Amino acid sequence: MSREIKLVFAGSMGAGKTTAIRSISEIEPILTDVANTDRAEFDKTDTTVALDYGELTLGIGEKLRLYGTPGQVRFDFMWSIMAEGALGVVVLIDNSRPDPIADLLKYLGAFRELADAGAAIVAVGRMDTHPRPTLDDFATALDQLGLLVPVMPADVRRRQDVLDVLEVLFQQIEATEEHAEAVDDWLGFVRAAAPRGGS
Amino acid sequence: MMSRAIPESLKKAFDREVASLHGRVPGVIGCVIATVDGRLVSSVVDNEADPQRVSAMAGSMVALGETIGREVKIGRSQFVVVSALGGILLLQRVPAERELLVVGTLARNNTNLGILLHETRGTASTIGRELDEWLAANLKG
Ligand SMILES: Nc1nc2c(ncn2[C@@H]2O[C@H](COP(=O)(O)OP(=O)(O)OP(=O)(O)O)[C@@H](O)[C@H]2O)c(=O)[nH]1
Ligand SMILES: [Mg+2]
Repeated sequence: MSREIKLVFAGSMGAGKTTAIRSISEIEPILTDVANTDRAEFDKTDTTVALDYGELTLGIGEKLRLYGTPGQVRFDFMWSIMAEGALGVVVLIDNSRPDPIADLLKYLGAFRELADAGAAIVAVGRMDTHPRPTLDDFATALDQLGLLVPVMPADVRRRQDVLDVLEVLFQQIEATEEHAEAVDDWLGFVRAAAPRGGS
Repeated sequence: MMSRAIPESLKKAFDREVASLHGRVPGVIGCVIATVDGRLVSSVVDNEADPQRVSAMAGSMVALGETIGREVKIGRSQFVVVSALGGILLLQRVPAERELLVVGTLARNNTNLGILLHETRGTASTIGRELDEWLAANLKG
């Protein structure tokens, strides 16, 4: 059976959402990066303002549609658009930022429905140079939220790291299978769609 | 590299252009200038639309318009239009040596699209010229 699965990458500016999709996409990714005029927030030349899009076919005939979000909070309207119909979310954390735990709460909070459904994972980058907060610290924060979300380190510049993150995410999603089936169900999709003139 | 805040002289010039467009074109109820990455630079808006949020969205729409234009091989996007029951929103890049700004014009739905396009384009080129002059004077080397 073949099906298409939508995954969303979220996280702060510069956490590596675009890099992660570039690392694993089998098509040339669709990008909407423009000049970054806020070098104080993160010193890099480009930043995503609408979305990134890439694709990855898994061995079992499943095609992943990979969506990268813009990181800045002013783009939160894109986050809710992109959460629509997603099977899972990867929250990327940049551990060199001032308060990575606050970032976790913010970005996971924006995808709370997926997190509650056990369809989220947290991947922490730059732990080699910034070991704190530790994975335990993140796990404690997640516990306090009552969330069952795995946390792991990842350097999204490395393809294998990103694939490992997705594998753990899928294990997690399978463990809550009824959710996966509900999303795959066309009728369920039709019922959930907004009626004409609505939304 | 652009500093975090737009220089005061430029900001004033942009404010003037925005106010002028708003004043001279009947039916225009708002105009926003934002950075390409969605930060508010200058605005006048008559209705309750929030210029900060509109700026972020304007950046996204202009970038998406260009990305999709490339994708379907129709070349460079000139502008993006949102045509709704209650009005028209026109978005485009500000043409300049550096692609740093976008402009959005909001108008009542009885506004002539051709005129709106023409006027917005005029404002965008004036702003672009002002930006270029500033860049030429301040970005030596
Ligand atoms: N040193 C180091 N650099 C990293 C690591 N992960 C990502 N990067 C770098 O960090 C930058 C991330 O940039 P992007 O991929 O544009 O980040 P983004 O999340 O898409 O950012 P926005 O679109 O602006 O929100 C890239 O230059 C990566 O090479 C890491 O673990 N260590
Ligand atoms: Mg990006």
